[in-house]
Amino acid sequence: MHSRVLTTSVGITALAAALAVVLAQAPAGAQAANAAAKPAAAKPAPATTQSAPAAKKWTLPRTPEGVPDLQGYWTNNSYTPLERPDGVNKEFYTLPELRAVEKKNAEREEEQTTPGTIADVHYDFTQFGLDRSQTRMADNLRTSVITNPENGKLPPVTPEGKKRAADRAEARKKQGAQYDQVQNIPIGSRCVYMNGAPPMMPPAYNPAYQIIQSPGYVTILTEMLHETRVVPTDGRPHAPATVRSWLGDSKGHWEGDTLVIETTNFNDKSAFRGASENMKVTERFTRTSDDAIRYEFTVDDPSTWERAWTGEMPFVKINGPIFEHACNEGNYGILNTLAGARKEDKRAAEEAARRQARSEEQ
Amino acid sequence: MRNRSVAVTTGMVIVVASVWLAVTTVAGQAPGYRAPRTKDGKPNLNGVWQAVNEANWDIEGHSAAPGPLWQLGAQFSVPPGLGIVEGGPIPYKPEALQKKKANYADRAKLDPELKCYLPGVPRAMYMPYPFQIVQSTEYVMMAFEFAGAVRTVYMKKQQAPADSWMGWSNGHWEGETLVIDTTDFNDLSWFDRAGNFHSDKLHVVERISAASPDHLNYEATIEDPNVFTRPWKISMPLYRRLEKNAQILEYKCVEFAEDFIYGHLRKVPLVK
Amino acid sequence: MRRTFAVAMTGLALALAAAPLRAHHAFSAEFDVTKPLTLKGTLSKWEMINPHSWFHIDVKGPDGTVTEWMIEGGSPNTLIRLGVTKYTVKIGTELTIEGYQAKEATNKAVGRNFVLPDGTRLFLSLGSAVPGGAPATEPVKP
Repeated sequence: MHSRVLTTSVGITALAAALAVVLAQAPAGAQAANAAAKPAAAKPAPATTQSAPAAKKWTLPRTPEGVPDLQGYWTNNSYTPLERPDGVNKEFYTLPELRAVEKKNAEREEEQTTPGTIADVHYDFTQFGLDRSQTRMADNLRTSVITNPENGKLPPVTPEGKKRAADRAEARKKQGAQYDQVQNIPIGSRCVYMNGAPPMMPPAYNPAYQIIQSPGYVTILTEMLHETRVVPTDGRPHAPATVRSWLGDSKGHWEGDTLVIETTNFNDKSAFRGASENMKVTERFTRTSDDAIRYEFTVDDPSTWERAWTGEMPFVKINGPIFEHACNEGNYGILNTLAGARKEDKRAAEEAARRQARSEEQ
Repeated sequence: MRNRSVAVTTGMVIVVASVWLAVTTVAGQAPGYRAPRTKDGKPNLNGVWQAVNEANWDIEGHSAAPGPLWQLGAQFSVPPGLGIVEGGPIPYKPEALQKKKANYADRAKLDPELKCYLPGVPRAMYMPYPFQIVQSTEYVMMAFEFAGAVRTVYMKKQQAPADSWMGWSNGHWEGETLVIDTTDFNDLSWFDRAGNFHSDKLHVVERISAASPDHLNYEATIEDPNVFTRPWKISMPLYRRLEKNAQILEYKCVEFAEDFIYGHLRKVPLVK
Repeated sequence: MRRTFAVAMTGLALALAAAPLRAHHAFSAEFDVTKPLTLKGTLSKWEMINPHSWFHIDVKGPDGTVTEWMIEGGSPNTLIRLGVTKYTVKIGTELTIEGYQAKEATNKAVGRNFVLPDGTRLFLSLGSAVPGGAPATEPVKP
């Protein structure tokens, strides 16, 4: 809308509507919705060593448009797995337990590999700052990202979901050996898709995101593969069902001070943890301090899991910048690997021909 | 009396005309268009925009021409275009012109667009697909459909840490105009499908301003002492996509380019 | 100091990262574990690119001829957030590369370690990468 007159009249109408609601003493619908948003199974968090009492009251920052400000550079870097590890039977670690888990993982990352082993054929992550422990941890005390089901595990997979997984594995086998053609190589190595689609799980490294806000939009830039989600927040409908994509179609709206983003229209290759193209993900972003955003998500795919499931993780502030991740453009690795495989094929064929010639001589 | 009033009126007309000429930009912006403001007082350039021209085929004026594959008939032939380069041919240095010609001759193999590579700047601005400008106080981002390319314009100036395909952009406002200064490019992108190219000394200064509620004026000054004898300019309108709920869509083209990039390394060759 | 990689299981199950290193297995298909090498040369260019960066090293042979090698290193993106730029590693820097040769070509390799003349490893010595981690901060309240 570019007409000041139109904007003003819409503004006045909205104000009148708001006044009407207040005067009618409508029930606190918004409050109830926010309370219901947290999974019913969530228990109150045990106290951490963080001391709050003397701290000054924090006010939620707002953008010039008056909506909560989620802007900045963020990370969800964490060792917390999606599913609760076997042998862990509680929802939260104590702080010393969490620190012990982190220390173990950090030491493991820093350990030197043994020369002459497969694991040694790689540049050292530690040298390039790529260990998880070298980016700020967005850690919390949870033993799993999954909060619901209460056991911290994915719900049972439906028969349809199991069949789909089997079909996919079968199709994959028919394609041949991994280095016969680029299409057999994992999708991340091909720089087709890595992370950034909802639900946003942390990648193995470079777990950086940038959020900027403009009137009526929240834009989330994921560092890996520079995935950009430009999300309108006016509650408009999704793109047509015939338009599918790797990251799906994200449409958002505000519920009080929480940004709710609903994503549908996935293609059938995205397949998050075996999901179908009908997966719907609902994300909720709530700024909880200067330093953190609480990120919750619900995955709903009745053709894959018997019930919807929910997870939660924090995002914490980091410094920028996010540098261009031009992955396909720099993918010497695939060229080298395929060329090496063809060279190996040639060598094996020549060796087989030699053996054949020798056995014929005898 | 009459002579004096005629003189006065003529004088006023001359004054008004001079002021009008001074105010009109090279790109023909109607004098006096003032874009609506964002809440932080800046011209609002938010929206889904698209260039409507043939610059991606060839930024210079060019005739219609056959496409690279006769099997596709007229479908992927080259449409004619008036060009977006101002004032004559691109001022290549003689040896650079030879390279451009060699690029052109081999464009069906060499154009980085074939590999779904990032288009660089300014090419991203005139590829024939929509892009979205999202404008906050500290950053202006442009998200493009093709290859999911994205540009970040830093409104608080920062130095580039390294070279990139899309360059590093610092921006500031001059009245109605967003001025974007981009450097630290690699030398790998092309300006179009016709082989126009640059080195890593490329320096692009863009000026973008709203010309009406539904179009922007865009111009860019291009400088590269390794390749051109002097700076030169391109200019074009950018049109707002006016469909209800206009949005950019995902155009991940890497999968479509993989056989082009890696096909020669297949175990079993593709049947031609 | 190299020590044997040991899998240590404790009472607390190790919380492993959700997303495994996708490209990790591909490295042993790209580079040959039976062809370890040590190269000494000077840096002519560091391509700060993704998904992996590439160091171009001029290696002088015993007969004095110079060969250019391409050595694979890590993504520069996190280093950039730690302050590394294209000016950090100077052209001409002497580097010793301990790594493995590529299966497809004679003068490509992956650099397991990039060692400076003083024996310290690149970026670690520049104080940019922080072994053992970024400083711990309070966990966010769930």
